[in-house]
Amino acid sequence: MASFGSKVFLSLGRTNVSGVGFKKTGNRATYATALTVNSSSTNKARGGKGSTGRRPKRGPGEPRTEKMALDQDWTSVYPAATPFRANAVPLPLRMGYPVKRGIPPEKKGNLELIKIPNFLHLTPAAIRKHCEALKPFCTEWPSALDTDAKCDELFPVKIQSTDYVSAGPSIRNPSARVVHMKVKLSSLNLDDHARKKMLKLVGDRYCKDSDILTIKTESCPLRQQNYDYAMYLLTVLYHESWKIEPWEAEKTRADMEEYSWEDSTSQKNILDTLLRINATGEGEEAEVREQLLGREEVLEYKDSVETLKNEEPSESNMLRYKEAVRKVLKV
Amino acid sequence: MAAPCRHVGHHIQKNGRFLRININQLFACSFSESKEAIVIPRKKSWNKEAVLEALASTVQRDPTAYPYQFQDDSYLSPRTSIEFKLFSLSQESGRAAAKYFVNSNPKLFTKDFAEPHIPYLMPESVALRLEEVSQEALEERISLRKVSAAVEMYDQLLQSGTAVSMETTHKLLDLICLYCDRDPVQEGTPQTEDRRKPMGRQAMDFLKCTWKENNNAERIFNLLPERDARCYSALIRGMVKHGAYAKAFNLYEDLLNNRLSADVHIFNALISAVPDVRKKNNERWDLIAELLNQMNEQKVRPNLLTFNSVLKALRQCSFLAKTFSPQILNEMKALGIAPSLATYEHILTVFFYKSASSGPSNMAILQDVLMELEGTSFTCQDPNDVLFFATAMKLCLDNKDLELGYKVHSLVEVGENWRLLGDSYQQALYYGRFFNLLCLMEHIDVVLKWYSRIVPSLLYPNPQGMKNLLQALDTDSRLDLLPTIWKDIKSLGHDNKVDLVEELLSLMARDEHSAEVQESFAACALDVKSVFGERPKKEWSTSSLSHISILLLRANKLQKAWDMLQLFKDKNRVPSGALLSSFLTACRCSASPQRAVELVQLSAAFSLPTTPELAKRTLAEFELNDKQR
Repeated sequence: MASFGSKVFLSLGRTNVSGVGFKKTGNRATYATALTVNSSSTNKARGGKGSTGRRPKRGPGEPRTEKMALDQDWTSVYPAATPFRANAVPLPLRMGYPVKRGIPPEKKGNLELIKIPNFLHLTPAAIRKHCEALKPFCTEWPSALDTDAKCDELFPVKIQSTDYVSAGPSIRNPSARVVHMKVKLSSLNLDDHARKKMLKLVGDRYCKDSDILTIKTESCPLRQQNYDYAMYLLTVLYHESWKIEPWEAEKTRADMEEYSWEDSTSQKNILDTLLRINATGEGEEAEVREQLLGREEVLEYKDSVETLKNEEPSESNMLRYKEAVRKVLKV
Repeated sequence: MAAPCRHVGHHIQKNGRFLRININQLFACSFSESKEAIVIPRKKSWNKEAVLEALASTVQRDPTAYPYQFQDDSYLSPRTSIEFKLFSLSQESGRAAAKYFVNSNPKLFTKDFAEPHIPYLMPESVALRLEEVSQEALEERISLRKVSAAVEMYDQLLQSGTAVSMETTHKLLDLICLYCDRDPVQEGTPQTEDRRKPMGRQAMDFLKCTWKENNNAERIFNLLPERDARCYSALIRGMVKHGAYAKAFNLYEDLLNNRLSADVHIFNALISAVPDVRKKNNERWDLIAELLNQMNEQKVRPNLLTFNSVLKALRQCSFLAKTFSPQILNEMKALGIAPSLATYEHILTVFFYKSASSGPSNMAILQDVLMELEGTSFTCQDPNDVLFFATAMKLCLDNKDLELGYKVHSLVEVGENWRLLGDSYQQALYYGRFFNLLCLMEHIDVVLKWYSRIVPSLLYPNPQGMKNLLQALDTDSRLDLLPTIWKDIKSLGHDNKVDLVEELLSLMARDEHSAEVQESFAACALDVKSVFGERPKKEWSTSSLSHISILLLRANKLQKAWDMLQLFKDKNRVPSGALLSSFLTACRCSASPQRAVELVQLSAAFSLPTTPELAKRTLAEFELNDKQR
């Protein structure tokens, strides 16, 4: 566009003839730093041919926003995700860094506004209309499933996958094959051993706080395959955790998930201490130990040690332990 | 749009996908509420585009937006009808050039990014692959539409003695007759732009070729050992298409002599050729009737195109048409063929424009037609369908019937009927006439509402349309809107139409208005002046000069007004006496006796009859020093 007028002036070299230079910056769509106002002198000279044969430059028409009615249907102006168009958005936006002592540049020709994603096509009115239009595609929610708890109870396995939409010649996106399968372990029928084995098998995939096992499958190329694989994994885990292998009998104290007080050093120590304290020597040692174990303070001591070891140490746990120790040692 | 709902309504019931229910849990649940049966509904299914269509149905037309194929930018959108044409043609030519490059360099475009596959983006094979003399090579040439190469191959085949199958011969004859023995225009070669002639649309084909004597089609035809109806059909239709009407009829006689029966396409072609072979209306009608009878005898069932071509031929028969067209309609109904828009268009033209008496009583026909068509959505079944809306609107305009105009427009807005408005020329006709009707008949507010809705997104008004708008403004005395209209006139590129500008100026200058309106008028007038100033070839006229001066005076822009007087002198135009006296009044208000004297001198220079009066007034009203005369 600028080439018409500048043919004559290029021969002058790069001299900045102020009038022409001004025109050039005015008529090209420069970005961001267009703080100066383009004078209207350039766009009066439209249409018709001058006698010198040089056609006057075609200035911009007025932007569409001037003609937009106040009660127009905005969802028709921006029906789909499109980049920002300054002549179609009737808002006085400014964006950009204000160069010293200036203001953020206006929206006309502003690259910053074009770069960012905008949600002009998803105003609340548009969303309402879309929901109305999509209702025929939906089926009714079963009326019996009105609380979250019921849904969890009746449909404990939850599958989550994502679809991706983008502008381009291809609709495929490799990230769309990922499948997350979540299930609460409390809804599975596991006894103590099975549960412990399951937890050992899945490792990191279990979240203790929410009791949810998450299996993420993305190793197959298609979503259907990943879904089948996740289901297969769940089945296999379930059945495997119920099986008891012969080598599981070799489970040592170091493999245990939680601390149990029986046959531990703590038990041995406390019994030894008590025996030495009492030292009455009546009956067999084993009987005395049995008796001691049945005593109330010892049981309490056992509880407090177990809570201390299994749970996070806290004030109350420590206090309880202290009390128990004092009671046992009669201090 | 009702389409997506229909899709879903006919949804195919797939087997319901039940999610897993843990049966143990169901019985172990501790909820004491009544156990309702969980009914999981069946999943609906729909076709691939149904969701998109449903979402698209929420969107209406944006009244200020230009057609979607243009860039939506204030610099790049077309503002005049010339620009519109230029931009759309340049887009098409760009697309054609790109396709040409892709097709001529297929090795550079092998990678296929599109998933699912889009065949249009991949290079098509346009180059011949088979070079040997064989029937496959001939078929290939036919499918690639290379007429001369195909004929050559056929000749070579005949010379080498190979038999060519009847199928292939049919296709070859079809090809040659369709393209009148010339190669069709390939993309990428420069085409001459088809200039539309305003009088008729007959000159549309850019390769208007006539059927030559003894061209390849006839030659091959004569060489055929046996000819069946299909060969005749190809030849007859080709002849009719390319102007050899008499020959077509001769060939038809030939066909009958060989005791073959023609098919419906032959009859359609012959009927449409009737007006060119007979000159008198009676004879034409007789021929048509004869053809129809023969059609009946040969048990060929007429279709929609048959009736449409009969009506089209009847159009040229003036008074006969009125008598016979109702009969034709009845026949159509009897056969159960639904008339298309082209049928109605022929009927309307016949009744309104071809008959001697066309009065307002005939509007009843249009009313009936519209009532019957109300709410129907059409598909294009006949190439002349697109002329219906323009003709209907023309009728409404000529008879100044606003109600019917609105009805026609509501028919256009049903569903996809806007596609039947035709190309940009037809569309411009339709909307132009609609707008003219509105300007004539409607209140100015409604007119302005429609104006903002259809200009410039659907219509670029021509100068006549703008004049009608100005008149409408004048009738309802909304002259304060004139400066905005002037801006629109400028952006539409009509500011070089002298009569339009003069009318605008005269409307502005006619009466006195309130102060701010005068200001705006004065600004507008200055604008007009500057526009004129850049076009030294255009002639100023006295009236426009005087109007501008009056406007400037009324807004108290004295200096500019004096410049106008200078212009009068430069262009050798004579100002009127009234103008000068108003100047004098203005001078008195600004109390510049010097100017007054200059004024008198000026009028003397123009030797106006009012000069003595002016002189007297000057003497009376001003205190003059000795420079007075």
